[in-house]
Amino acid sequence: MSNRRASSLRDRIEGRLLTALAVLTSVVLVVAFYYPVGTVLIEAVVVDGAATLAVFAELLRDPFYFGELARLFAGESPLAVARALLDPDRRLGIVGFTAYQAALSTVASVALGLPAAYLLARFEFPGRRTLRSLTIVPFVLPSIMVAVGFVATFGTNGTLNSLLSALGLPTVDLLFSLPAIVVAHAFYNAPLVARVTTAAWESVDARAVETARSLGAGPIRAFYDVVAPQVYPAVLTGAALTFVFTFGTFPIVLALGGFELATVEVFVYRLVRDLRYAEAAALAIVELVISLGVLLAYLRYEAKNAVSARGARPLPRKSLLPSAPTARELLPRVGLAAYAVVAATLFLAPIASMVLASVTGGDGALTLEHYRFLLERQQTGAAFQVRPWPAIRNSLAFASAATLIALPMGVVVAVLTTRRYRGRTLVDAAAMAPLAVSGIVVGLGLLRGLVFGVEVAGWRIAASGAVAIVVAHAVAGYPFVVRTVAPGLEGLDRSLIESARALGASRARVIRDVELPLVWPGVVAGAAFAFAISVGEFTATVVLATGADAYTMPVAIERFIGRRLGPATAMGVVLLVVTGLSFVVIDRLGGESRGL
Amino acid sequence: MDFERSATDAAAEADAADGSPPAVELAGVTKRYGEATAVDDVSLRVREGEFFTLVGPSGCGKTTTLRLIAGFEAPTAGTVRFFGESVAGVPPEDRDVGVVFQNYALFPHMTVGENVAYGLNFADPPGGVTRDERVADLLELVDLPDAADRDPESLSGGQQQRVAMARALAPGPDVLLLDEPMSALDARLRERLRVQVRRIQSELSITTIYVTHDQEEALAVSDRVAVMRDGAPEQIAPPRTVYREPATRFVAEFVGDNNVFAGRVTAVEGGGKGDDDGDAASPTAAVDVGGETLRVGVDGATDVAVGDRLTFCVRPEYLRIDGGASRLAATVASAEFLGETTRVTLDWGGRDLVVRTRDPLSGDIVVGFDPDDAHVIDVDGA
Repeated sequence: MSNRRASSLRDRIEGRLLTALAVLTSVVLVVAFYYPVGTVLIEAVVVDGAATLAVFAELLRDPFYFGELARLFAGESPLAVARALLDPDRRLGIVGFTAYQAALSTVASVALGLPAAYLLARFEFPGRRTLRSLTIVPFVLPSIMVAVGFVATFGTNGTLNSLLSALGLPTVDLLFSLPAIVVAHAFYNAPLVARVTTAAWESVDARAVETARSLGAGPIRAFYDVVAPQVYPAVLTGAALTFVFTFGTFPIVLALGGFELATVEVFVYRLVRDLRYAEAAALAIVELVISLGVLLAYLRYEAKNAVSARGARPLPRKSLLPSAPTARELLPRVGLAAYAVVAATLFLAPIASMVLASVTGGDGALTLEHYRFLLERQQTGAAFQVRPWPAIRNSLAFASAATLIALPMGVVVAVLTTRRYRGRTLVDAAAMAPLAVSGIVVGLGLLRGLVFGVEVAGWRIAASGAVAIVVAHAVAGYPFVVRTVAPGLEGLDRSLIESARALGASRARVIRDVELPLVWPGVVAGAAFAFAISVGEFTATVVLATGADAYTMPVAIERFIGRRLGPATAMGVVLLVVTGLSFVVIDRLGGESRGL
Repeated sequence: MDFERSATDAAAEADAADGSPPAVELAGVTKRYGEATAVDDVSLRVREGEFFTLVGPSGCGKTTTLRLIAGFEAPTAGTVRFFGESVAGVPPEDRDVGVVFQNYALFPHMTVGENVAYGLNFADPPGGVTRDERVADLLELVDLPDAADRDPESLSGGQQQRVAMARALAPGPDVLLLDEPMSALDARLRERLRVQVRRIQSELSITTIYVTHDQEEALAVSDRVAVMRDGAPEQIAPPRTVYREPATRFVAEFVGDNNVFAGRVTAVEGGGKGDDDGDAASPTAAVDVGGETLRVGVDGATDVAVGDRLTFCVRPEYLRIDGGASRLAATVASAEFLGETTRVTLDWGGRDLVVRTRDPLSGDIVVGFDPDDAHVIDVDGA
């Protein structure tokens, strides 16, 4: 009866490929993430071979970390603590300060992001699409580069002060201040708020608004009753993510705040440098618990309030030119114009200042001396000095290797998490955990384990710093591959897959012949993400780049930034070009995918 | 005819005479999703070369039944057999089935030709022809000989549907499974296409299982029809039998328009065991429906007795104006002009009756039917 061929050896190998890749992915995750993170966490509760919570107890009772709240943990009455908290001389401690700056940064990001969302969702103008795709830039822009840009703008000899002194005004010193950190965070996170809010706003069904209007609601009432309830969960998403990101902030605070304005993550780094590992681990756990707590609270809220509006006809976009000289036509547009000036200054100034500073000499004249310095340093620099070529070469090599690992990992996890089976949520959570855990902890775990060496069954296994950096980057970048590939797979018509199977294709063959070709743009975008994330990764790298030869561009910039701003900005420009190229790839091939 | 007999038994019995194993057989197949039962203990046999249709309202389990046959779902209980052999645990790619979906499911990144050729990656073209010849033959078969290099999305819905047919047939499957293949098309195109599907099926004499919610389509194309409800077939029979002799009230009302009556038997006349006359008149039961006595032919239903509760139906085309042995005085309630005929709804003592006429009707009228035009659905002993 049957004329179907028996499955060939190749088919059988293909059939096993998925399983093999899934196993390899788990191995990489365990080796590069779960084991190192686990050892760090254990370090906090096991002191001299005995399990103890003493490190935590000490931490919680130390006003240095918890400010006035520490007294609560130390057993003082809540009333006294509350009174102390209301006192203007209250101490916040490091954890308190971190939460405080994160809250301020969140408010600033939402304030800066919402008008952009309004503009992007409700108006039509030339360049709207470009502007919309630019909101994804913060995901690929190395934060250390943003820090360089801010130093170049707000530093003692920065653009702002040059401008002020040219105008005969007194100069200001914004660096190493809370406002500088908050503004830098807003620079970073406002586009995220704008992005998620715009997406929600665009999915509001015009028919719902029209129905409300036809039932007697005025335009403002219709906005409150129909549009706002659908938009504000997205604002909350943006705010929650911003809080979590800025709570765990590292390079920006390290570069702009120094140890005087240390956040938890910076202090963990400092403790690691001082070899106080147990305390560092305990502090990292406290940070993780707070971050995860906020995320979980938010996710629970989201699950309860999820509104899905699919296949909706979006609200019509308005022209930026007012159609009539009425207050209702003019006011929003004037407001947006003012906003545009502020936003353009804030977003363009750091980048422009960085580029400008890289070609400006000490005397203010245009020069290529900083680039020349990089070249000279390359030729004449001592072995212990940071040289530019190894940094560039390392960055590109690590990023390529990390992408090669992250890509199959991400695709496999995307395939596994878009199928239906029991325990899928667990797989999803386990695979996405690297997004939530601080790079310092991963870096520290890898350093203490893999790099210093592990004894397995009598064999001593040790990896070089470079290998550890590559796997750390791969683990940090692959969730982005999952996030760009999974929505495409999820959105694929099931009957395409079933048709292919009925025609004789095995499950693995269907992935190769049908699924991957159809989500290919997402795969390439994911690769670009993984590459950009690796190129810009700073936190884990700075911990692992202990040797003289494993530093990357961001680490080199951080080492330059304190002493030589010029070369730091020159290197920043190189980094900008590399990540800019990644962005173009992402934008062309997957920027509009629903994953991010 | 035994009215207590279930539809599934009838199907099995119908096949008993035929020696060869059925191309597809379901034996006690059940599919549950958590608490919900989608397919409930279904047994049926599809003969080789047969055009078999699963028809029923949405949610009746017909698509799930098809997916169980294709291997996209595994039964919770029971066995699916192909040519007498169980296919439990056999994945869809090893079942030699061709599947056509409602939304065509053409691979958008391949040309029409590549779509049709896809299954030939895993099977040699039947009949010893080359791959290219096979693709050309099939595109010829579905009347799209020049479409090989076209992009599927540049084709109309009907053309895409034909390409999907060609693709499913290319590897020479044993069984063709069609899941509502025409529901996305407009009515006129659907009628044209179903003629073509039937022609192709007869030409290849390929065993075909067809799922549709459209009872008219089911009657038009099938060798046999399974009318499904709540996860199980109520009747499995050729279209004419399903239409003329519905086994249950649900089938009577689902397939075409119908007038269903129920009442107590007050008398049984003619026929019977005592009659030694070879060709005796058919026995007739007098049934009291809402105070009116209606005369119903109970040919075959030998065990009808006075006092039984009888359910029977009369098709609208058998209800004659001012004619028939049983007469019903009714009032015209509404009329729908359908072109060829007018479907008139009558009010008969608070019950709805449907008749079809050519001439407009209004006011009070009398309709009637002869005993032989009534079909007994169910007899419930007193």
